[in-house]
Amino acid sequence: MSFLAASIESLGAKVAGWFTVGYGMFAFLAKAALLLLDRTTWNRATFDVVVKQVYFTAVQILHVFLGYALVISWLIITIILSTARDFGLTEFASEMTIRVLVLELLPFLTALFIALRSGSAINTEVALMQVNNELDALAHCKVPPMQFEFLPRLIGGVISVVTLASLAGLLALLMGYLAIYGTNAAGFAPFTQTIAKIFDFKIMAGLLVKCALFGLAVTLIPVTAGLETPKKLFMVPVSVLRGMMRVFFAIVAIEVVSLALKYV
Amino acid sequence: MARVAPDLPLRANLSALDNIALIPLYQRHYSAAESNRQAQQFLEQLGHADIALLRDPDMTAAQRFIAKLARALILRRPRLVIDHPGAMLYDVPYPSFIRQLAAQEEIAGTWEIYDFSWNQTLYNQALHPE
Repeated sequence: MSFLAASIESLGAKVAGWFTVGYGMFAFLAKAALLLLDRTTWNRATFDVVVKQVYFTAVQILHVFLGYALVISWLIITIILSTARDFGLTEFASEMTIRVLVLELLPFLTALFIALRSGSAINTEVALMQVNNELDALAHCKVPPMQFEFLPRLIGGVISVVTLASLAGLLALLMGYLAIYGTNAAGFAPFTQTIAKIFDFKIMAGLLVKCALFGLAVTLIPVTAGLETPKKLFMVPVSVLRGMMRVFFAIVAIEVVSLALKYV
Repeated sequence: MARVAPDLPLRANLSALDNIALIPLYQRHYSAAESNRQAQQFLEQLGHADIALLRDPDMTAAQRFIAKLARALILRRPRLVIDHPGAMLYDVPYPSFIRQLAAQEEIAGTWEIYDFSWNQTLYNQALHPE
């Protein structure tokens, strides 16, 4: 009986913990959104940090990312084309390629790529800032950490994921065309017709919202996880571990909800 | 009140110059160039222009103190408090070090020092070296 009570208590504590974390994240997001509307936020200093953030998150890794997108796209396109040929469904190959790669796989992989590279770095940095009292020092100097440190990271993350996913998508479209039609311009009309058929307003808006949510997840969650870190240095790895697990679940949840809304 | 204290560290991933320039850049909305010029001027006044590009982990305790002091001075608050200098300046005879800094011609205002009472003799020695 005591075992049952302890189990229920433990489960209750976990559920309450999840709600607390969720509430903390949404409260932080609401504060960030309100600050976005504040005119004083938009000064030269914040703009400079946003530019730096976009540079470190997207521009610095552009060549590696595009190489990675190229290889993945080429492999998936080859698999789709050979399978389509085997089943005599070649006319659907271009649509299948666009749906699988451009709408689903590449945005998801972009979010994972940014989460592993920048999300973990943001989580570690914010946790160290919290442990070392650097945030208190900034507040003492009347430099608001939200505007100087966090908001630019959120904006930079969203811009980076949307831009990188768009670039990867364009690259995949080019690869798809080359794989299906080669350098022959005759396929241009049917290929662009397929693109136009798939990318209606609803799909485009959905894709944009999904990428923006991915961008938010890979920056907002690491920031809030870092801020939760107790002021003990040995807790920094624990904070990063928790933050990255949450990022992973959030990315998967966004993808699952997006798929369900589109196809179920 | 502006404080120079062990519990108010510099931003570790910014140089000394950036840590100081952040204040005019953010509070007074100066351009980056003007903010950097003002920050450099404070470091020059304190006789440590050479630490501008160093980050916190690359500085000695004295250099780190100078950067924190310049950051506090650029805040232009009516009071400047140096809190437990012994915890920040463990590698120099700090009462005389702070005295030399405060004696610079361009430095205005009064600095208040909060320290343990048992360190009083160190200050007496700095004031009356003979």
